[in-house]
Amino acid sequence: MELVLGMKDSYPSEVKRKREMEFVLRHLFEEWGYEEVEPPTIEYYSTLENTLGDEAKERVYKFVDRNGKLVSLRPEFTTSIMRMYSKKELRESAPHRVYYVGKIFRYPSSPLRVEGELTQLGLENLGKNGIDTDAEIIALALSALLALQELGIEDFMLDIGHVGIFQGLLSSLPLSPPEKLFLKTLLKKKDFVALENFTSISSHPLFPFLLHLPFLRGKREILEETKNNYPLSPPLVEALNYLREIWDIISDFHLEEHVFINLGLVRDFDYYTGVVFEGFSPRSGYPLLTGGRYDELLEKSENSLPACGFALFLERLMEVQRVNPKEKHSFFITITYPPFLRSSIFILAEELRKEGIPIIMEEKGEDIQVLQEKELIYQGKDEEKIKTIILERFKSWES
Amino acid sequence: MGKLTISIPTGRMKEESLALLSRLPQCPPLDLINSRQLVVEREDLPWRIIFSHPKDSSTYVEFGAADIGIVGKDILLERENEVYELLELPIGKCTMVLAAPLSTSREELLKKEALRIATKYPNFTRRYLQERGITANIVFLYGSIELAPPIGLADAIVDLVSTGKTLRENRLQVVEEITPVSGRLVANSISIKIHSQEINFLVEELKEVTSYV
Repeated sequence: MELVLGMKDSYPSEVKRKREMEFVLRHLFEEWGYEEVEPPTIEYYSTLENTLGDEAKERVYKFVDRNGKLVSLRPEFTTSIMRMYSKKELRESAPHRVYYVGKIFRYPSSPLRVEGELTQLGLENLGKNGIDTDAEIIALALSALLALQELGIEDFMLDIGHVGIFQGLLSSLPLSPPEKLFLKTLLKKKDFVALENFTSISSHPLFPFLLHLPFLRGKREILEETKNNYPLSPPLVEALNYLREIWDIISDFHLEEHVFINLGLVRDFDYYTGVVFEGFSPRSGYPLLTGGRYDELLEKSENSLPACGFALFLERLMEVQRVNPKEKHSFFITITYPPFLRSSIFILAEELRKEGIPIIMEEKGEDIQVLQEKELIYQGKDEEKIKTIILERFKSWES
Repeated sequence: MGKLTISIPTGRMKEESLALLSRLPQCPPLDLINSRQLVVEREDLPWRIIFSHPKDSSTYVEFGAADIGIVGKDILLERENEVYELLELPIGKCTMVLAAPLSTSREELLKKEALRIATKYPNFTRRYLQERGITANIVFLYGSIELAPPIGLADAIVDLVSTGKTLRENRLQVVEEITPVSGRLVANSISIKIHSQEINFLVEELKEVTSYV
């Protein structure tokens, strides 16, 4: 009876915390007019193949179905949702605002890690592009993290970047396609020493900008500063201006407190086309929330559908959650009773359960006992009295 | 926000690392802390210092136990930690090489059937062999790599070489220089966001004090 390598069991106190988060987030998404969808757990591998990078491809769980076709456990939801809404009639009735909750599956990046299965909760806005939609999604991402504050998710930040910065750089630098690919790999690996030694572009006026990317992070001012400090090409200026407009909308919503502009933000998935963002906490090395705009995910299948969305990683959020040790206790009341009282105790238990008091019935013993976590608090035979005592106790535990 | 935590490797690179940091304008002479203490928190120091096993330095940084760290490139190549590699430091300079007994020529070595290569860097060696199209079994050892060919444990080794003295003593020669290796300044991917100003400042200062070496 061994647990599968890379997998993890969740016991009641943990599941409870997870469901609490789900409850808060579902409620929020519904308030913003998003509706829940449920794609299947498996997809044909060919559906996912185009949207994944090489490393991500290796980490997909793959197997063969009865017709010999390669299928996979979903490594994320976005591609499945794009497949759902790529139908002609649904594309015509766009926009759609949808959210999802469920498990995603990826082989752990190292055999020493337990992260083969993660719970994601996320949303997508399909069929609309434009700055107001991007701002709506970012505002929702911030609202989601803010809503989780009451559950102990503290000191989070949200970094906003733009794919156009890296793409603008690539188009401005005189590089061959293999060199561009190499540059991209170095940036993904965050190897700035190798970048600095990239001699074929070291005299280019944009080279200092490239090397400083990880440090170009701040509030609104960073955008002006960057424009003044580096000889940016038009596509780069355009991306920066877009970020300034986003910032202004977010600050009109009064949500800018936790937001930072990060010009060096690079996301793992290759399908992003515009604004990208990442929520994180100083207490975890992995992002808590990731998202962005991906208008061309369907382009290869000639059914273009603009979309923007994000996903929250619930296990990572739980890792940074400050748990109130008092609240961790699940509590219920056990009533132990002799057989001849079975019928009346059942009626009493049902009554109490309707009032929201969890009751466990245990038939044994000669006397009636009321127990809370093995602590005996009453012995006797008076039903009314038991009921009063339980209610009083319950109120005192609750407050 | 508090001070940055820096991870410094013990062993070969410890003294060089401390000497380098001592040259920064905001840092007092660090020879005083050359103690056996593993965590050093002192008011006059601009950082909190953690001394780590040389192979663990980048892991401390990856998991956020330290915001920044000094680590040998050989360790980064082997462990492939997810950290920002920010600066090449003029310390711990040596070369990763493929070496074989003087009696074996390069051609003989590469033609050998069932080639065996001993190393402390199995991941790196596997990638290198793959890229070079060499088929070989890797013998993973913790130390005394250069002893493997003379005692018949392996046909060749992949290891770090600084002066070449150890190689000569064991009658080995460099068959191929794989890559130069030196100390690196690395940063945690969350810390670089939260402390981007301070880390950037440190990088610039280190660049300045190392530029005329």
